Amino acid sequence: MNNRTWMSRSLAGTAVLMLGLTLAGCGGGGGDASSRPENELHLAVYGDASNKVEQAMVDKFNQTSDVKVVLDTIPGADYQTKLQTIIDTDSAPDIFFNWGGGSIANFVKADLLMPLDDLIEEDPQLKDAFLPSVFDTAVIDDKSYGIPMRGTQPVMLFNNSDVLKQAGIDAPPATWDDLLDDVEKLKAAGVTPIALGGADQWPTQMWFQYVFDRVAGEGLFQSALDGDTDVWDSEESREALGKLRELIDAGAFGTNFDSVKFTDGGSPTLLSSGRAGFELMGSWAYATHLDANPEFAENVLGYSEFPAIEGGKGDPANLAGNTNNFYSITKNTRYPEEAGEFLKLMYSDEFVQEQIAIGNLPTTTNTEEFLDEASNPEYAKYQFDLVKDAPHFQLSWDQAYPPEATVTIHTAVAQFFSGQIDEDGFIKAMQSL
Amino acid sequence: MKTRPNYLAGIGSFIWLLIVAIPLYVMLSGTFQTREEFGDNGPLSFPSSFTLQNYADAITSGFGRYFLNTVVVTVGVVAIVLLLVPPLSYAIVRSRSRAASFVFRFFLLGLAIPAQAVIVPVFYLINTVGLYDNLIGVILPTAAFALPICTLILSGTMRDITGELYEAMAMDGASPARAFFRLVLPLSKGGISTIAVFSALQAWNGFLFPLILTQSESTRVVTLGLFNFQTQYGINIPGLLAAVTLSMVPVLLVYLFARRALVQGLMGAGGK
Amino acid sequence: MTTLATRRQAGPGGSTPSRPARSGASSVGRPGFAWALPATIFFALFALVPLAAVAVLSFTSWSGLGDPEFVGLENWETLVTDPVMVKSLWLSLLFIVLGVVTQTPLSILLGVWAAGNQRNRAILSAIYFVPLLLSSAAISVLWRALLDPNFGIPGQLSWLFGDGNLLGTQSGAIGVLIFVGMWQFTPFHTLIYQGAAKGIPTVLYQAASIDGAGMVRQFFSITLPQLRNTAITSIILMVVGGLTTFETVLILTNGGPGTDTTITAFYMYQEAFQSFDFGVGSAIALVLVVVATLISLVVVKVSGYDKMNSSLEGL
Repeated sequence: MNNRTWMSRSLAGTAVLMLGLTLAGCGGGGGDASSRPENELHLAVYGDASNKVEQAMVDKFNQTSDVKVVLDTIPGADYQTKLQTIIDTDSAPDIFFNWGGGSIANFVKADLLMPLDDLIEEDPQLKDAFLPSVFDTAVIDDKSYGIPMRGTQPVMLFNNSDVLKQAGIDAPPATWDDLLDDVEKLKAAGVTPIALGGADQWPTQMWFQYVFDRVAGEGLFQSALDGDTDVWDSEESREALGKLRELIDAGAFGTNFDSVKFTDGGSPTLLSSGRAGFELMGSWAYATHLDANPEFAENVLGYSEFPAIEGGKGDPANLAGNTNNFYSITKNTRYPEEAGEFLKLMYSDEFVQEQIAIGNLPTTTNTEEFLDEASNPEYAKYQFDLVKDAPHFQLSWDQAYPPEATVTIHTAVAQFFSGQIDEDGFIKAMQSL
Repeated sequence: MKTRPNYLAGIGSFIWLLIVAIPLYVMLSGTFQTREEFGDNGPLSFPSSFTLQNYADAITSGFGRYFLNTVVVTVGVVAIVLLLVPPLSYAIVRSRSRAASFVFRFFLLGLAIPAQAVIVPVFYLINTVGLYDNLIGVILPTAAFALPICTLILSGTMRDITGELYEAMAMDGASPARAFFRLVLPLSKGGISTIAVFSALQAWNGFLFPLILTQSESTRVVTLGLFNFQTQYGINIPGLLAAVTLSMVPVLLVYLFARRALVQGLMGAGGK
Repeated sequence: MTTLATRRQAGPGGSTPSRPARSGASSVGRPGFAWALPATIFFALFALVPLAAVAVLSFTSWSGLGDPEFVGLENWETLVTDPVMVKSLWLSLLFIVLGVVTQTPLSILLGVWAAGNQRNRAILSAIYFVPLLLSSAAISVLWRALLDPNFGIPGQLSWLFGDGNLLGTQSGAIGVLIFVGMWQFTPFHTLIYQGAAKGIPTVLYQAASIDGAGMVRQFFSITLPQLRNTAITSIILMVVGGLTTFETVLILTNGGPGTDTTITAFYMYQEAFQSFDFGVGSAIALVLVVVATLISLVVVKVSGYDKMNSSLEGL
């Protein structure tokens, strides 16, 4: 019962009374409203192609447990909205998917989450079984709030190797200048050089994350996040924006990227159908392609790191993206122990194998042992090494900031790409955060 | 208006026919093609093969359940509207109390309250009474927001019942309740079917309330299923089109079997 | 000649009893206020009580976590100076105006034409009717797929659509939303005009023919005036519908490009449920209610229908 808000209280009386009147005969109405069915644990996850593993884990858990886990898949586009709307109500899930960092900071501040340290004390594996750098993303004020539950998702530059070959490109671009050359070659070959789902906005943001990191190093964004908004107006920031502008003006993304989405398959299909050469996307793109067009995913899809930028401060081995996703437990759960039991599945061999089978890359210490079982071991190993060797792994901007900043960031990156705002406009928007 | 042909409207209606029919053609032909074929040929091409796989995909991805949920919501909303609006309109038309005329203005005002405007408190209200993620929690506010327009429509119909008819009833010393059941209801059949159609369409179309007030697969309605399908299986455009096509089947059935009632009902909204 | 419009006007005005009531038999028992009570309470619970809560919330700062915090007029001050808010109101107005001016002439023409009795008209009417069978969500999803610049219709008709960047430019995105609205709602408005046109007494046209009035003249001097009340009803429905358009924007443009299709109703959702600022969201919601009320009143005043007693007037 976390029925604390004044609104709930003030509405409750009238509500119960009136529902009693109007619902008479419909049954239900009033009563102890907050009670969930007993012996149920609600698990809220981001709805996408990875849900089959989550379902498998739930099924496995339910075979032996009296308290049954119920999987609620919430449509991806709507996930963050739904979560924040329900988390401080009686309808909050018991366990929920998140991105760690900024995505749960507000919940921790509002005292809604259960620290997992007691559970970890009972079963040290809950912490020791995971790569420390990843596990720490969900540690806030020295307390652990999340257990890694999917795969690490660095953003990489995917390519259609057939298209590159036809355009006379032998290898993925190692430097920014290579990338600009490739853009020219691909244009000459009559394809859109780089597919971009601009209508979704977050794919556009990925370009900013990498270019800012390569030009200015990881420090600039961290300073901004810590409250020093002046850095957005620094020379390095302007240089990064200049690089982006150069790429856009070169026609790298074509002219209609703002009408294309990744989430409805527009931009990945551009790549897989050979109408674009590259796409900058999270590592889940492999799973997306595997689901839609297995032959392409296995034989044609290529991938590389984001190119280095000459003279930039950032280490070219730095990554950006999602370090991993996490399960957190809400404080008001009815079954904290069972929830803890469920989380233990996240380091089981079976979990690791299932994730690898669909192209995700878990971050348990034993992951390396299973990489050969991946449907594409080469891809899995490549990715794992990237993450292992990265000096810095930048969490996506919209996840590093608390959720209320998302609309501002997304609008700014999209408007900069479409030319609606210039460098000054972008800087002003970011400084308003 | 039936003696002479009207060429201007005739030409306009033909152009409009193309605008309406072409997207519907693309939708239908797309559902019978494989993903690869649809992608290669483009939407306007004539399908060169035939598959029902897309419908199978759409159905296995949960649309059967979504249909059932939408039907439950629709029936619930129509039931509440038919239960509440006729007595209300009767009171508005026949009652002499100031309160009744105040109520009429109150519902006129209600017409200008968009559901979006109150969605935040409605969420907390539904949540507080434990109806979050429950179809009843969707039915109640959807029905409430169907009331103003239905009240206006039905009050109009009831106002056409002449005083003489009430006087005839009076000969028998009829009570208000008796007049309501024996006179008002039978003579308002047209208006009642209009509000039934109206509220049913509103429930069938409902998006915002289900979006905010439900979350799980088991309470998902068709409109949300489509929204979800777009992000979950979006690469499968023919599958998506099949889902859209399926979403219109129930209304199509109503249309085929009760076309007259449906069309007359909708016409009734504007006049007769 | 009852229409929604005249019905509103004929409603009990203040303390004056409505006309049928006056002429009705005083000997018949009249229904008490209790008859209106269930519906009134029900509506108050889901519309009026929440509206009051929204008014209170608009003076608070609240993210949905913890308790709302009273901040006085802060949200209102933010809104007044917020360029997106101002822009959203203009966009809403633009949507309403464009919606009305595209849908009304078309629905009148189609409705009057379809009111004829020929067989082919009945068949065509049936086809026109089909978009009505689809929900807004279904229609938006359908058009989103049809308008993909590479794999939709624009990809195949590049002579017509160029690079197909329809949703990436302001004029394109607004055009798409207006067009989709037209595609979706014209069937409904056509239907109510058709119903009204069928009800126009034939004797009026016969009289006009005897006077030697031509078809076009008849259309303008008989048909249109006769459809006046229906038009007002139809336009009010378009205005309220346009003002609250939501899922179409959410699915087709998500308010973009940038904020170029962020109409007020969508901006409210965005502020409340994406930026988690329920205070500002509530203030926008109130603006929405006020604007909806004002526009309805203006339509009523401008059309002068509150002074109109019969649609036979003006002949």
